Amino acid sequence: MSLYGESAIVRDPAAAKPAEQSYSDYARAKQRRLRLRRIIRGGIGIFAILVLWELMSRWFDIELILPRPLSVLRNVVTTLLVQNRPWLYGPNIYVHLANSIARAMTGFLLAAAIAIPLGLLLGRVTSLREYILPIIRALYPVPGIAWIPIAILWFGLSDQAVVFVVFTTALFPLLFNTEAGARQINPVILNAGRCFGASGPSLFFRVVLPATVPFIITGLRISLGTAWRMIVAGEMLASQDGIGYLLMQSRFQFRAVDLMTAMILISIVGYLTERLIVDTIEKRTTEKWEVQSG
Amino acid sequence: MRVKDASRIAAAALLCLALLGAGRAQAADKIRVGVLKPNVVTVIYWIAVKTGAFEKNGIEVEEKPFPSGQSVAGVEQLLRGNLDVYMGAGGEAVRANSQSIVAGKPAPIAVIQGTDIGGTSILMRPEFEGKTLDQLKDQPLKIGISSPSSIHLINFRGYLAERHLTTEQMKWQLVSLEGGNMVPALLSKQLDGFMHDALTATLAVNAKAGFVFMNSHRGDMGDKAKTLPNTLISASRAFLKAHPDTAKRFVQALLDASKSYETEPKAKTAEIMADWTHSDPAVLASLQDRFDARVLLTRQSADAWWEFNGATLKARGEIDDKVRFDDIFDLSYASPGK
Repeated sequence: MSLYGESAIVRDPAAAKPAEQSYSDYARAKQRRLRLRRIIRGGIGIFAILVLWELMSRWFDIELILPRPLSVLRNVVTTLLVQNRPWLYGPNIYVHLANSIARAMTGFLLAAAIAIPLGLLLGRVTSLREYILPIIRALYPVPGIAWIPIAILWFGLSDQAVVFVVFTTALFPLLFNTEAGARQINPVILNAGRCFGASGPSLFFRVVLPATVPFIITGLRISLGTAWRMIVAGEMLASQDGIGYLLMQSRFQFRAVDLMTAMILISIVGYLTERLIVDTIEKRTTEKWEVQSG
Repeated sequence: MRVKDASRIAAAALLCLALLGAGRAQAADKIRVGVLKPNVVTVIYWIAVKTGAFEKNGIEVEEKPFPSGQSVAGVEQLLRGNLDVYMGAGGEAVRANSQSIVAGKPAPIAVIQGTDIGGTSILMRPEFEGKTLDQLKDQPLKIGISSPSSIHLINFRGYLAERHLTTEQMKWQLVSLEGGNMVPALLSKQLDGFMHDALTATLAVNAKAGFVFMNSHRGDMGDKAKTLPNTLISASRAFLKAHPDTAKRFVQALLDASKSYETEPKAKTAEIMADWTHSDPAVLASLQDRFDARVLLTRQSADAWWEFNGATLKARGEIDDKVRFDDIFDLSYASPGK
């Protein structure tokens, strides 16, 4: 007999199924409602911004500085359809986007390949943390843009310089998050793992890594955003193509409409890469290890 | 008491009127000038300051500096009404006017004078000495430019257009970098050459980093390019309309400075130039063969600029076909003394 009504479930399993079914239907319906609400609210927010933008461009009437939203949206479409004339920015938009994505992803993946293992090590090995963390903390305040001159000096005006700048700026948020996650694992969880016979690599892969995942995911999200911000700054100064270069060129050409188009494209690509990379990693890891991401 | 009070009130009123009048006169005579600094192409401005030409013409200048390669920023400030005059724009003022015309608005900026006559140089690394443009155009060379809107690039494109060529047809890769980094980049072989002003060219030659492959002043880019002002002096049309006399006196001050540049001993002008550019006076003295600091915009040179550069900008789609000479130039201020 159970004090919690389990006996009823045990006594009549056929009756329990519809109850579970109706609960999951309710949960799904609730999820749908929440998603719809999010979409509507987000849509209203975007619409409000567009209306405000339209009003401001009408009010100030300076097409040179603030083109109307409709002209910008039209320009986004013609740019994506490669029908924008005159096109003053060298190769078509897809070449610029592909080059930017390649540079951003190279820098970001390099940063992840170093920051995640190093962060885990620093978080778990106190002596190593005491040696290395002060150096990292000293480098962290150097703004990403300050790495550009030294990157040009070391790598010349090349892709490597931009990748290096992306790497340096994407590294720190991920490293600090991973280190904090690994350091703050509840000792009770570790001891529980040990009690179940886990030690060495098995303790690491079954306890330490899953417990750090939410922190790593947050770090990845921040680092990817930073990578996109820096790719634009790097390409503005040390590159001859890419979306940052396009942005700079359109400024020199006094084409605010192209400038805003480039900004919108950066926003779209940044959002898509985050959804594709971070959300996929998050889903795979949190589902596998049954942990909740922040 | 009453008489005393009345006289006090009258004196105060007179003082207020005098101050108000003085304030107005000062406001009318004050010009907010944006200028590329430190940069040899705008040195005529500093010569005018140092020789007292602005004072002599009753002009008080409020200087707003812009770094090399950021010529576009000056024109942006001119458009926003934060400057009255800008020295440094080449193609930027023309592009800004074109965009305004495309939007159905009048051109907001007028080019009123020009300086740095024929000041475009193309430097190449020593191993290319003896080669011609035809021999080099199909080589994948990395050529430095200060910005994609660089006036030197516009001039070069104008020259290529006369030869039925475009930069897109050549194999050169144009690399944007600040003027100050061009010589080190050439020395470290990160660049094969660059297009820039006379000072950067002279620094590269003195450092034996390269040789002058082409120079518009000596006629390598054709006769038209010899007389072209590279640095245009632009003004907000709103300012010109409100203060035409001030604008004329400002230009007159630059013309007076140009006369000083012609007549003063080279060593003295080199010193002023060194002060403005933070460079060695010896270097400045040696660049004067390939540099002309005077303001010299005439109807003829403005026409040449429009035919040479305006046509190239139109052909590339950088400015609209609707843009006319009068949308860009206003020569009524160019030689106010005459």
